[in-house]
Amino acid sequence: MDNLTIASFHKGLIAKEFSAREAAESYFKKIARENPSLNAYLSTAETAALEAADDADARVADARSRGVTDGIPALTGVPLAMKDNILIKGLPATAASKILEGYTASYDAGVTAKLKTAHAVFLGKTNMDEFAMGSSTETSAFGITRNPHDTDRVPGGSSGGSAAAVAADLAVAALGSDTGGSIRQPASLCGIVGFKPTYGAVSRAGLIAMASSLDQIGPLTKTVEDAALLYGTIAGADPLDATSTDEGALAARNLASLPPLADVARLTIGLPKEYFVDGLDKDVAARVQGAIAKLTAMGFSFKEISLPHTRYALSCYYIVMPAEVSSNLARFDGIRYARIPKVSDAVAGKGASLMEVYLKQRGLGLGTEAKRRILLGTFVLSSGYYDAYYEKAQRVRTLITNDFAEAFKKVDAILTPVAPSPAFKIGEKANDPLSMYLEDIFTIPVNLAGLPGLSIPTEPYPLGGEALPVGFQLIGKKWHEADILNIGRHYERN
Amino acid sequence: MASIDKEALARLAKLSRIEYDPSEEAKLIADLDAILDHFKELQGINTSTVPPMTGGTDLRSVLRADDARENTNRGAGTEAFPKSKDGFLEVPAVFE
Repeated sequence: MDNLTIASFHKGLIAKEFSAREAAESYFKKIARENPSLNAYLSTAETAALEAADDADARVADARSRGVTDGIPALTGVPLAMKDNILIKGLPATAASKILEGYTASYDAGVTAKLKTAHAVFLGKTNMDEFAMGSSTETSAFGITRNPHDTDRVPGGSSGGSAAAVAADLAVAALGSDTGGSIRQPASLCGIVGFKPTYGAVSRAGLIAMASSLDQIGPLTKTVEDAALLYGTIAGADPLDATSTDEGALAARNLASLPPLADVARLTIGLPKEYFVDGLDKDVAARVQGAIAKLTAMGFSFKEISLPHTRYALSCYYIVMPAEVSSNLARFDGIRYARIPKVSDAVAGKGASLMEVYLKQRGLGLGTEAKRRILLGTFVLSSGYYDAYYEKAQRVRTLITNDFAEAFKKVDAILTPVAPSPAFKIGEKANDPLSMYLEDIFTIPVNLAGLPGLSIPTEPYPLGGEALPVGFQLIGKKWHEADILNIGRHYERN
Repeated sequence: MASIDKEALARLAKLSRIEYDPSEEAKLIADLDAILDHFKELQGINTSTVPPMTGGTDLRSVLRADDARENTNRGAGTEAFPKSKDGFLEVPAVFE
């Protein structure tokens, strides 16, 4: 039962090769054995998972008795991992922050509800950078996650726990969230597939918000085929997220069958010259060129394009995102969701004011990176600096978005690297925020423009192999997730 | 362009309701200054005719249908309060 994909799990389940319960039990055994060294999961949910697995088995048995196994959803019984900033009712949701230690979700996120309707099984909640702020999973308040390909290296981030869990086969697939690359970059560093859908394609209700104009939930999977299946299950409008629409679900409907390569290869792929520059790791450059060569051999044509404002994306992002962070994280006041007991006891005894409680709870409950971004966001929004920073960045964001709109008049998809280097050593960038921020230089523009982005391993990277994984990124037009997923599905078959 | 000094940091921290340890002060100031310095590159771009992008989407705001829905999760929020009294969230005194 090793290295199951969603697609092969479904076949095996229908063919009675194993039950959902057996699969879940086997994953929990593996997690017990391997998670202590990787720290991919922050918490597991054996009781709820086995209950859900039994329910899935009962449904499959019932469908079989009626001769209608064709109608069983692809996710039925599939053991999944969930990033710890996405709510599952009754399970912890810490977003890897001390300030939420002890918090239990009181409702299901929109994506959780959709997956429960499809009878998926949640094995547990995965580690991440605190409140999804980071590119290495080192800012987690609950310990670092290690890259299964080399445990001295980071898995990327912020969805590093989800990426490591899938790469080490401690789950069939996982969900993560992506604000500036947090699904695609860890997928690239761990040798798996990561997909950020169009802004608005998937409900964010029940996602612990980081930067609301950028956040999007998406799948981390072993294959592009699985990413399409998982995406199809979670896409669609949700009345509890006013930015979500049915456009994404319509796009997902086109994924039911894969058009022949000859048809898909009519799509022209753009190569932005600003993304292939000095400073890109030689190995990354060579492997991405290898992917381009393979796609060329498959019949795709390429065209050089220009996205002239690319170099400003990082500054633009590090103004817009912290501004939204400073507002979204204001709700974590140490009063409503969870309290740090030590602080509560200390101030309660002294009859402390509400202000003192806020200062102490947030001071001790939030980590360095979260604090840095809240302070930065407060600064760029403050009177006297708003126009020079925040509004300026919003205007530059328009320019970056327009760049893509112009490029998409000439090409159907865009190919770029995902991250400037393969997985780096633990601790290597932890003390230099700017060098860490540069990790997301190729993924950030996609969030600023609200486009879909897909990270695909340039070649299969089995565990124990020599090379550190490298991915390439396909960027699509808004609501054209089918274009990039279809290119990816053919890429992994060839 | 701006830079952050001790007073500015203290003011931001108060606005943000964050207490920091004096030992964190120097690094916070240095990091924030380095990041603000990086932002200087934006000042060279002429954006006078460019409208600001105010959200993640060009879709128009959607209003939820004004229909009554049954709350199937009643009480879950209040049960999750870290400290409660008579079903209400218990907080320290707001007024001195």
